[in-house]
Amino acid sequence: MALRGAWQFQKLVVSYCNWGGSSRGIRAFMESELPALIEKNPQLEVATELSRGQHPYLKGIYRNRNERVVCVKNMDPEQVLLNATRLRNSLGRKVVKLRTRHVTKHPSVQGTWTTAVKF
Amino acid sequence: MASLRCLRELSRRATTALSINQTRLISSLPSLEPRGTSITHATPTPNRSLSRDLPWYTRSQGRHFSSKTNDTDESSDGEDDDNDEDSAEMEVEREYSPAEIGYKVMGPLKPSERLFKPYEPVFAVVQFKVSNGDSIFTEKLKFCDINDKLVLTKVLLLGSASQTIIGRPILPEATVHAVVEEHALDEKVLIFKKKRRKNYRRTTGHRQELTKLRITDIQGIEKPEPKIVHKPPKAADTEQPEAELVG
Repeated sequence: MALRGAWQFQKLVVSYCNWGGSSRGIRAFMESELPALIEKNPQLEVATELSRGQHPYLKGIYRNRNERVVCVKNMDPEQVLLNATRLRNSLGRKVVKLRTRHVTKHPSVQGTWTTAVKF
Repeated sequence: MASLRCLRELSRRATTALSINQTRLISSLPSLEPRGTSITHATPTPNRSLSRDLPWYTRSQGRHFSSKTNDTDESSDGEDDDNDEDSAEMEVEREYSPAEIGYKVMGPLKPSERLFKPYEPVFAVVQFKVSNGDSIFTEKLKFCDINDKLVLTKVLLLGSASQTIIGRPILPEATVHAVVEEHALDEKVLIFKKKRRKNYRRTTGHRQELTKLRITDIQGIEKPEPKIVHKPPKAADTEQPEAELVG
């Protein structure tokens, strides 16, 4: 999640409920693993929100103003960490099927072959 | 006959279990002995209990294994080479060699390191034909985090405008430097299987994990020096088209 060296992931919003049972995992994640995540990524802003009565979610905001929301209800803290790491690891691009695996601006170095080229 | 086959299988399983995980078994054997069974032979008793406990052993060994790789990632360089050689042998062969397994090079964060040079007209063939500044999607690479430098050592072909160097099958001293941009999931692919008239229909979703690499440098071939283009002064440029229009 670093395009040419610049981090694309700007903010992580952790939204949870302090009463509901579906937020148990994320509450445990906030106590145990969130501080470690914050330390590892000093360039990342992390905000925690309390939304009572709602299921918990992780919201990632990227530099291209794209938001990715992942619902983490009824998940273990390890799964929540995996999801948070995935958000941090990805660029903000839309998840589409890849057309090609190789993206280049200069497809030919020695000249594109045509039928008129002779060696 | 069935009992003989059973014994042979159990003994085979026991030998494999023993070879993988000797210390665990030795520690557990005394605990297994008190379990009295009706079989008179001495060998089947440990074998039987071993076969029952095998899935547990393999699972725990699996967990143990993953924690081992985690430790190797965090520990220092010297220990890593040995540990990672073992893990590499047991796991899939790696096609590339990470620049440093163990401590990750956080290269491009420092503004003094300008890794992203402008385009150089040189290409190399790794699994793809790459040039400076290209991006490539590969299967998810272990042992590397974002903003890590990678060195790809298996280069099949190098080329530039004037030269081409062909490897048989690889070039020994050619390297391609790349930087990890992201680890992401591909889009969901729905796998739908159907057999007609047989009442068989399955739908599975699959998302492949990918890594995006950006190629920064190719070494091993002479690069042509960049031509210095002298830009003609702008006044001359603007005058000429006017002259043409008038004339």
